Amino acid sequence: MELWIGALNLGFLYAFMTMGVFITFRIHDFPDITVDGSFVLGAAVAGVLLVHGVNPITSLLVAFLAGAASGMITAVIHNRLNVNGLLAGIIVMTGLYSINLHIMGRSNIPLINQVTLMSYIDRVNPGLTPEIWMCLTLGGATILFGLIMAWFFKTNLGLAMRMTGNNPIMAAATGVNVDRMKILGVALANGLTGLSGGLVAQYQGFADIGMGIGTVVIGLAAVIIGESVLRMRSIYAKVFSAIVGSLIFRLMIAVALAVGMDPTDLKLLTAAFVLLTLAASKATAGKKAFKTALSHFWSKSAWNGRKVSVAVCLVLVLTVAGWGYKRYHGSPAAGPNKLYKIGVVQLLDNPLLNMTRDGFLAEMKKMGYESGKNCVMLEENAHGDMSTVNNVLDKFKQQQVDLIFPVSTACTQAAISKFKDRPVVFAGVASPFIIGAGQSDTDHLPNVTGVYGGAPAQKMMDIVHRFKSGQFKIGTIWDPSQANSVFNVGQLQDIVKGDSDVTFIGTTVTNSAEVSQAATSLVHKGLDVFTLVPDNIVYSAFESVLKAARSKNIPIFISDVERLTDGAFCAIGYDYTSVGNQAAHLVDRIIKGEKPQDIPFEKNKKLTFGFNLDTAKELGLTIPPDLLAQANVIVDRKAEATAKAGHPTAAAPTSTPSSGQAASALPPAADKVTPAADKPPEKRLVVFIFSETPPIMDTRKGVLEELTTSGVLKKYNISVDDKSAQAEFYLAQSIASDIMRLNYDYVITLSTPALQIMAQANKRIPHIFGGVTDPYRMGIAKTPEDHLPNITGVATMHPVSATIKAIREILPQAKIIGTVWNPSEATAEACTYAARDAVKQYGFQLVETNISQVNDIAEALNALVRKKVDALFTSGDNSINLAVDFVGKIMKQHKIPYFTTIPTDAGRGAALLSIGADYVEVGRETARQAILVITGQDPKNVPIKNYVPEKMVVNAALAREYGLTIPDSILRQAAEVRR
Amino acid sequence: MIKITDLHKTFNAGTANEVYSLRGVSLEIAEGEFVTVIGTNGSGKSTLLNAVAGTFLPDSGRVEIAGVDVTRQWDFQRAKLISRVFQNPFAGTAPDMTIAENLHLAYLRGKPKYPKTELKTSRRGKYRDEIGQLEMQLEDRMDNVIGTLSGGQRQALTLLMAVINPPQVLLLDEHTAALDPKSAAQVIRLTKKFIERGRLTSLMVTHSMSQALELGTRTIMMNKGRIIDDISKAEKQRLTTNDLLDKFAELRKTERLTDEMLEELRRDYI
Repeated sequence: MELWIGALNLGFLYAFMTMGVFITFRIHDFPDITVDGSFVLGAAVAGVLLVHGVNPITSLLVAFLAGAASGMITAVIHNRLNVNGLLAGIIVMTGLYSINLHIMGRSNIPLINQVTLMSYIDRVNPGLTPEIWMCLTLGGATILFGLIMAWFFKTNLGLAMRMTGNNPIMAAATGVNVDRMKILGVALANGLTGLSGGLVAQYQGFADIGMGIGTVVIGLAAVIIGESVLRMRSIYAKVFSAIVGSLIFRLMIAVALAVGMDPTDLKLLTAAFVLLTLAASKATAGKKAFKTALSHFWSKSAWNGRKVSVAVCLVLVLTVAGWGYKRYHGSPAAGPNKLYKIGVVQLLDNPLLNMTRDGFLAEMKKMGYESGKNCVMLEENAHGDMSTVNNVLDKFKQQQVDLIFPVSTACTQAAISKFKDRPVVFAGVASPFIIGAGQSDTDHLPNVTGVYGGAPAQKMMDIVHRFKSGQFKIGTIWDPSQANSVFNVGQLQDIVKGDSDVTFIGTTVTNSAEVSQAATSLVHKGLDVFTLVPDNIVYSAFESVLKAARSKNIPIFISDVERLTDGAFCAIGYDYTSVGNQAAHLVDRIIKGEKPQDIPFEKNKKLTFGFNLDTAKELGLTIPPDLLAQANVIVDRKAEATAKAGHPTAAAPTSTPSSGQAASALPPAADKVTPAADKPPEKRLVVFIFSETPPIMDTRKGVLEELTTSGVLKKYNISVDDKSAQAEFYLAQSIASDIMRLNYDYVITLSTPALQIMAQANKRIPHIFGGVTDPYRMGIAKTPEDHLPNITGVATMHPVSATIKAIREILPQAKIIGTVWNPSEATAEACTYAARDAVKQYGFQLVETNISQVNDIAEALNALVRKKVDALFTSGDNSINLAVDFVGKIMKQHKIPYFTTIPTDAGRGAALLSIGADYVEVGRETARQAILVITGQDPKNVPIKNYVPEKMVVNAALAREYGLTIPDSILRQAAEVRR
Repeated sequence: MIKITDLHKTFNAGTANEVYSLRGVSLEIAEGEFVTVIGTNGSGKSTLLNAVAGTFLPDSGRVEIAGVDVTRQWDFQRAKLISRVFQNPFAGTAPDMTIAENLHLAYLRGKPKYPKTELKTSRRGKYRDEIGQLEMQLEDRMDNVIGTLSGGQRQALTLLMAVINPPQVLLLDEHTAALDPKSAAQVIRLTKKFIERGRLTSLMVTHSMSQALELGTRTIMMNKGRIIDDISKAEKQRLTTNDLLDKFAELRKTERLTDEMLEELRRDYI
């Protein structure tokens, strides 16, 4: 019975909001999302006023006005600024989130000890069952309000409002200010929503920042359901359809719960239900032709539609019933037995809450309570929906559950406000006092007891002090809408206040996407230690915090041991499983006859405490032996890997304390365990190239050949990965950050952009470069000896001058040399500067054209051809390198000899002559530099090598075609002559 | 009653769709005059009517109604003085509201709407009598929503709604163009009846040459945003539709009308 009455009560309270949605959606044809915010606004305003002793009726009036004001803002944004109505609603709803938090001052206001409208109603109970009396009064009030609403829509003003929504042109023609009428309507709608929020808060015993999520969807669903059930044109019927819709919606959830359906599927059921009712009303509207035939049965055609709707409802309910029958039937709750029933409810599926629940169930079993044999365990999960918690509790009442076990603060709050007559044992609550469960451990609500405790902030700070001395800053990130987080942060702040050495800095977030930014901002503010308190959002985005912390070597202290393996430095927190165990013992005492009143609240007894030794090594922190001895979880991947390989190291004995938790907290064996016993631990090297142009590919080939043949890879157990940015800068950036994330041991970059991007991202990993013209211009180095500490490599200037000299020898009469280059490429710039000097020396004039991408080349070449250049020379430009065959073809057409500084260009027939570095040889030299580093030299002490293995290639076939004779002096120098 | 002085209006100024719709229109209409407006498509007839109604504000010029300068007033403010019937029969009524509710709101045109119920039995009786004048047997369907009526019925109701609370000025924008011939004739008959009975100052845009000649005390002809001819009642009685077309032909001679527009006029008006 309670389940159904409870559903009706909620239905009546939500009906105010539904009527509001009806006004915007049906009267004004304006889907207003503001209600998601104004619902909470009403709850917040009413809650704060009640706490300050304001009369509940007055508080509801103010809630109405506050809601109306928010609606007015939406309508003004929509009208005056000409913003789309949906968008205006989203803007106001988003803003309201912060405003609501400000109004409440925290995420949740408990109203359990306040005089509410419900306590008024209770007081004048003429002797009926409280629930039924509540239902009658709320129902009466809602219906009265519905009548007032319907009456309003019959007045001159109401009629004008309806006309504004129905036909704005005509409304204006009859002298109605359409804009003002819309403002009035949307304000009224949100006022009703605010009123509804205030009522729901008083009914459930608290206001919560999260209670408004999805309000608009519930409202729309209720309006649509109500309309299809009560299909009449009268405005009375329309207003009442909104109320009926709200009731049906709540009853539907109650049905789903009663048959034991998983609340996860409720949303899907809602969607299906709305869709089916819509489809049914469409179908009957199309069959108007049949109405005369059917009118023998039903005097009004409207009945036809209603009949279908009712049938649809029935079918749906029966389907759900059938679906859930098995579970329902199989559940001992249905049987007429006298077993002790325990209702377990949690707000959402969260690993930590699950640990507590499982710890509870396991301990109960250990003590001999087995569900179905000597007790009944009813487990429910509200999947994050606050109003579902209420439905679950109603269901427990219905099933005559003897004891409620709520996990998490929100569930506890709802449970203690709903149950006064049977024991409630809570767990997973940071502080039961802020939710009104009691004043002290012993002085508390007579039917309530449980296990509580926040993060051990004092202990955490004590440990932090062992690692940091002098003035330092600690900081944390939290979601202000989570009551537990706010409480824990408050504790931490209190401790820091009494500690003159420590400054607290903090940032709040509202979703996991914001965590990265928040963490970075803290790091920028000069944070020294992260002290993260339990917070679902921050814990789920832990990686982001870790990334920010690593950039400045900041240690992370956290209260969740699970995060130790992910890279936190130290964890100290309560043990979620043992909280459940502890609560199980309290339940046992109650079952054995003790009164909850006489059982004091218990603090979480067991702490877990641990370190990550890998992280410690990375950060250069030494852990004092006494702390290490206290720790019951030690994470040490490397030691573990070697231990598995049969070589226990010095680190191994420290991980001896192996309690159950410690074992479960340790990671599965590290991914890359060395199979052979004698090999040193594996190291990883990455070869990062910017683009796949021939010279870079040659360099890469040289690097890999030399690394392999020299035997270092095997000797030092090094694996090699390959990365190419495909000539895209954004891709190069991501590759660089990926290399940092994966924490390679060595990086080899080939090409100038790869060097630049990698050098920017990496200040610690040893980095060897090759295939670079001029590292000195890019700030990597001042001289070969004076360079960035972690970077060294090989610099290979293009032999520009030698090439220009060769042009003079082959073309003694030539005057003008043309060149094409991209000014945004550092190498091309360096080569062009060199060419400008060289042409003077050999008596040429240089004509330059600029390109910004490969597509510009054809046009640039045409320009040079028109200027009658005698020869074309290109050097060091990546765009040209990619299109060298195309350039060669064009030059062939115009019979202009083409010279480059890449030997392969002449070899493949694109250029007449090329003098360039032998890039395979450059690669080998780069590898030799890398080997110096791998074998133990500090990159800082390895000078950059200027190395140009000159190699000339002449394409004699092409020369013949042009009618040129290559002087013997040149042919003698050539390493290769193509005939 | 209506005094329009040198009215100019350009829509979408500065864009590719710029339309210079009113190019200095001046017009004075005395109380009780019934003026019909003719002209080609895009000549500015409807724009002129909307300028009087206040659906847009003019770029320059002045509009006076019953001695009040309303140039800077919006349509809902001018509704005190003006009532309108639109070409689209669906534009003049609220389809989801009943006949009685529509009539009641029309009756409240230009008056403040307070939250009080006035649509009571006595008032309904009055509306019932008014609906009787339409002779469409709608008297017994006062509580039916307008959406269930035909276009002709809706337009007749819109006309009744426009005069139920007699306005200073009645604006009719081709209000029979979208109706079948039979309904159109019926609505024209009602129009004549209501205007004569109330001696209403009216401005009616029409596409029918014969309507223009038959109805009203004066006819103005528009082209390219200007009034190009103003025909008095005496003159109208002498003219036939052919004479009107000749007038257009005359315009052609003075190169104020292209062949194309003449062809369009023939198509539209004959």
